[in-house]
Amino acid sequence: MTGTTTLDALLVSLQLTDSAFPSGLYTLSHGLEGYAQAKAVDPESMPELLADLLRHSVGPADATALALAHRAAEAGDWAGVVAVDERLHASKLNRELRLASTRTGRQMLDTARLALGGEELERYAELVAAKLTPGCQPVAAGVAYAAGGVPTEQAVASDLFAFAVSFVGAGLRLRLTDHRRAQSALRALAPVIQEVTGAALERELADLGGCVPAADAMSGRHERAEARMFAT
Amino acid sequence: MTDHVLRVGIAGPVGSGKTALVEALVPVLIARGHRPAVITNDIYTQEDAQHVRRNLAGLLDPERVVGVETGACPHTAVRDDPTMNLAAGAELLERFPDIDTLLYESGGDNLTLTFSPVLVDMFFFVLDTAEGEKMPRKRGPGITDSDVLVINKIDIARYVRCDLGVMTSDADRVREGRPVVLTNSLTGEGLERVADLLESYRKVPA
Repeated sequence: MTGTTTLDALLVSLQLTDSAFPSGLYTLSHGLEGYAQAKAVDPESMPELLADLLRHSVGPADATALALAHRAAEAGDWAGVVAVDERLHASKLNRELRLASTRTGRQMLDTARLALGGEELERYAELVAAKLTPGCQPVAAGVAYAAGGVPTEQAVASDLFAFAVSFVGAGLRLRLTDHRRAQSALRALAPVIQEVTGAALERELADLGGCVPAADAMSGRHERAEARMFAT
Repeated sequence: MTDHVLRVGIAGPVGSGKTALVEALVPVLIARGHRPAVITNDIYTQEDAQHVRRNLAGLLDPERVVGVETGACPHTAVRDDPTMNLAAGAELLERFPDIDTLLYESGGDNLTLTFSPVLVDMFFFVLDTAEGEKMPRKRGPGITDSDVLVINKIDIARYVRCDLGVMTSDADRVREGRPVVLTNSLTGEGLERVADLLESYRKVPA
């Protein structure tokens, strides 16, 4: 890769990762509100919960799907992209998690098509519009990163970072952290993001899916909670 | 989204009567032969959506009233990043293709709350007399830039030391003559005018 294309890929990933990129991520707490309502998390344990979710849920599920979809889109293997999308969708046990993933995925796809362009995004958007594939956010992101020429590893790490930013942002609004602790927590999380990225790049389709029964139970209770600010 | 669906924003501070306006407006629209649906953003509990469903029972299918969680950022959800509202609107239209009017309700003050032009074709900002006669003078994008300013609860003005004449003339001045409507959503006063103004934004006559 030349210097210019490397820098361009960096700019693409900065744009897609930016919390200002409109995909509705700020409406999600990624399970945190459920934990907060159950009083099962406090300011001290919040970073640990985030690390656990990255290792056992987001990494094996979303990040793995992103890596696989990214490679498949680069290779023009659309049956492969659909297979990843379907498996990821099936691995999300709660309705609110599935709905959040497809809503943010479709909206991300719409804006990425407009902003980035590219044949990959057009093709994937056709499949989603024809209801031939669910349109989960990590798969849409994988296709968008591929369209923007971002290498797989950078794409996976970028999306994991975006997740972490979104999670601590929800923590801020739930009063589980403050603006400074949030930044320290994010920086301290870098080794976990690196580890989870490496593992996601190794995983195959058959191994896609997280295993977080406690988080699934919290999310299930959150779906029926009397009051809530977040969609997940 | 298609041209035959008019998308309307209803904004305003908590308690100013947005929900009451929606509940008063829906029957007027239905009487005029329209098929509305409601998307409400100021939910923490399901309170608002339930209230609308209950009060419009028999008139509007409860399934045509949906809530959108906004992660404590209702203004972001209708202004900076309206994607979750766009998604909710698209899902409603897919389920009920006959809908010709989408009403998006969202709470927020005069400084924070305006609607993205990608989300709605026009928006109302709802003030009420109890917030004080001074409100229009305080301006802010909600008050000055909304397509129609509604001053609600005119019936209680005299009990809250609000001079409606002053409030209206201030509103006219800061809005440079753009529409201001006085309403009492509980009796329906002013609602025909609200509906007329809304209709004037329809691209395709229904």
